[in-house]
Amino acid sequence: MTTEAFFKCDETIPERAIHIAVKGPGGCQRSDGSDCFIASNIATTPGDMTERGCTYAGCRGVVGGPVKDVIQLTHGPIGCAFFSWGYRPHLADSDFHMKYTFVTDMDETNIVFGGEKRLLKCIIEAAQEFPDAKGVFIYNTCSTALIGDDGKDVAKEAAKIIGKPVVFFDCEGFRGVSQSAGHHVGNETIFKELVGSVEPEGDFSRAINIVGDYNIKNDMRTFEPLFEALGLRILTRFTGNVSVDEIKIMHKASLNVVHCARSATYIADMMKSKYGTPYIDVTLFGIKAMSKALRDTAAFFGLEQRAEEVIEQELAKIMPKIEYYRQRLQGKKIFIYQGAPRAWHWIELLRELGMETIAAATTFGHKDDYEKIFNRIQEGAVIVDNPNVPEIEEILKVRRPDLFISGNKEKYVAYKLGVPFVNGHTYDTGPYAGFSGMLNFARDIDKALHSPVWELLKAQGRPVPGTSVAH
Amino acid sequence: MSTVMKQDRLVAINPTRSCAPIGAMLSAFGVHGSITINHGSQGCATYPRHQMARHFREPIEVATTSLTEKTTVYGGKENLLAAIENIWNRFHPTMITVCSTCLSETIGDDIPGIIEEFQTNHPDIDIPIISVKTPSYIGTHITGFDLFLKEVAMRIPLKSRKGDSNGKVNIIPGWVNPGDIRELKWLLREMDVPVLWLTDYSDTLDGGYYDPRPHFPPGGTTVAELQDSSRSLATIALQKYVGGEAAKVYKKRHNIPAYILPMPIGLANTDKFLETLTEITGKPISPELERERARLLDAIVDTHMFNTGLKVAIYGDPDLVHGLVRLTTEMGMIPRFVLTATESKAWGDDMVALADELGIELDIMMRTDLHELHKRMKAEPVDLLMGHSKGKFLSDAEHVPLIRVGFPVEDRFGYHRRAIVGYKGAMYLVDEITNAIMERRGSLVSNTLMAEMEEDIPMNGGGCGSGGCGG
Repeated sequence: MTTEAFFKCDETIPERAIHIAVKGPGGCQRSDGSDCFIASNIATTPGDMTERGCTYAGCRGVVGGPVKDVIQLTHGPIGCAFFSWGYRPHLADSDFHMKYTFVTDMDETNIVFGGEKRLLKCIIEAAQEFPDAKGVFIYNTCSTALIGDDGKDVAKEAAKIIGKPVVFFDCEGFRGVSQSAGHHVGNETIFKELVGSVEPEGDFSRAINIVGDYNIKNDMRTFEPLFEALGLRILTRFTGNVSVDEIKIMHKASLNVVHCARSATYIADMMKSKYGTPYIDVTLFGIKAMSKALRDTAAFFGLEQRAEEVIEQELAKIMPKIEYYRQRLQGKKIFIYQGAPRAWHWIELLRELGMETIAAATTFGHKDDYEKIFNRIQEGAVIVDNPNVPEIEEILKVRRPDLFISGNKEKYVAYKLGVPFVNGHTYDTGPYAGFSGMLNFARDIDKALHSPVWELLKAQGRPVPGTSVAH
Repeated sequence: MSTVMKQDRLVAINPTRSCAPIGAMLSAFGVHGSITINHGSQGCATYPRHQMARHFREPIEVATTSLTEKTTVYGGKENLLAAIENIWNRFHPTMITVCSTCLSETIGDDIPGIIEEFQTNHPDIDIPIISVKTPSYIGTHITGFDLFLKEVAMRIPLKSRKGDSNGKVNIIPGWVNPGDIRELKWLLREMDVPVLWLTDYSDTLDGGYYDPRPHFPPGGTTVAELQDSSRSLATIALQKYVGGEAAKVYKKRHNIPAYILPMPIGLANTDKFLETLTEITGKPISPELERERARLLDAIVDTHMFNTGLKVAIYGDPDLVHGLVRLTTEMGMIPRFVLTATESKAWGDDMVALADELGIELDIMMRTDLHELHKRMKAEPVDLLMGHSKGKFLSDAEHVPLIRVGFPVEDRFGYHRRAIVGYKGAMYLVDEITNAIMERRGSLVSNTLMAEMEEDIPMNGGGCGSGGCGG
């Protein structure tokens, strides 16, 4: 039994019904007609055209990749290393991590005879080629995991030889149901292998870590100065614009400020239980949320008054411009499809700009992500877990959002349908975080919505030549 | 004396290649209405989709069987059967290609057997379902493309009767861009030769804006044409290493003469292609093509004072590199380093023979990475770099212009619709190269370049062989 919320394109795969819901008066109304909450974080239906990636992608691409001064070595054949090289704009104040990718380049013979010796030699060679690198991160892949290479042992041996940390991540692609599993592996491994390995001297009473921000297009530049203006010091950024030495001492911070709750609460929890470090969840996007993040952080240190001054000063700078954009964007309907947290981070930000989210979807959200979406989104909105290409198309065609916010793969689907689009994964012209970033976001949305190109398409678009489909 | 080398270092640093599945997917996009299922971890579909979207700026839809940890124990059969069924029910494609991955090959799934079982259980689903063996640990991205073509040649053409011809020539363009296929179409129209493309993604991967959006991207070779390809007059493979083997299959199975030619880049290689068409069909080279050819000669002579004697480093796929060496030599430049990721003794021998024929001294590198090329360029500077986008870091570091050719070009727009083949493609490259050289010299001197340069008299004999004649 499916309800009206169910998609036409899913008629032949009814198992999708539990992943689709509408926000009703009582909360989640699942499209299979049941009272259960929307299903998430379970295996994808084979062949449904999912947009999900793999565990390796979550670990190498998201959590490990931004660390700027280590050799990023993939243990496996070449493809995984090539595809994960240099496209995610997790920027830093240096670019070694963006410019270089390393891979053990396993071929058929290595797969048959094992790759441990090869891995060891590769680590040593890479360290020799780049003596300034501060360590090596090794990411495991499907084939090397299946043949049973003991990468951890090799990493230990290599660390002794090169005299630097060598960290091995068990992030083979098949490990979980999505890239989310890779975030978890990344957190656990970094915590176990690096955090607390150095005990620095000094006063850390006003030191915080920003946890779960990857400095996409320099997002951090928008909010770091604000935390610093409170009188706080940012010790470690997990993981954007961060060095391995900073990770080693992150346990010294007095507070963890957690931004991406999905990919980084793991390490905050582990630090809490081992070192007693408290953490707070924040959203660093939008006026209310960014202000609240500053207030909550300040409250922890007894700096409330200072927070109000900083907020007032910053808002004075942006509010006239926000008002300008609000007038231009008022009433627009948005479809957000992101990895997970941005789908709930941005509902309120868009509301502040006068827009409502009518559809929200995530690639790898868990139950807590969907709870936050249901709490924030307006009634009548559709929520989709792990959407696939035809579902996305159907939302764009049937629910007709004015704007679609998603990633690079989905962008061209939107364009083929004549739907304005903003790249929420890697940003069009970011950063989008903080107060100043919100102006970039608003400007990009404004540009996307009001470009004359859509009128041109509407007026000039024609059917495929030779077809007689009515307009 | 040219030398052939393979990298000593085991660790690959900034490889020039990706892996086999992307090649099979790309070639399959040239069959109208076909869908590819990647049998493996989700990343093995998502990464290549992402990569292709960045190059072609098009929706790239590929299915995955979403294998997880469980399937490494029980095998991926159930997932593959479900994926084929889901894809059929939802899309009714004209053909399905299943490409394997590291994961499905290593766990030993019998993909042809599983497909056979599916077809036995679904006699009503009367479309070709083929499989291509594409784990990342064999060969490179071109291997997947080549194996797909071979599989098509083995499986799809119908049995032909002796003397029964469709009057067409099978053309296998190889790994080229949509723009190249369009240029080849122009050449063949001018030659008045009917063609059967194996395969044609000139429209499917460089599509237009159509209202309404069609169910499948328009264009591509139809399955009926593939079936008919056994009745063609001849097969011309325009790349030896991508499609050459398929041409041999047509020869062996259907007694169709096979012509395996160098990629038609530059004057001599385009001549050879057109002469081969004349040889097969008896049709002369058209006056318009003669005029184009004359314009190319004119363009080369117009620009030679800017280019003669400049040294070039070229990296990329084997056939592309081979063609570019000939073109740059025709322009009076000196190819110095050539690099391909593919390990192939045959290619090394081809390149030595080419260098000997052209009277140049080449450092020929196979299975070598961009880091090695960078070291060579530091030791012996070159004036120009040709290859895909990943060479931009070398270009930046050494202040050498990069001419973007090959795959992927992900940091610029529109390169997928430019042609580098044929006389027009050669003219485009001649202009692009010359302008890049002029651009580097600055706008003030570009018109009077030679007067501004220091005189450089070769001390050891005449000619332009050892660093003389140019910049």
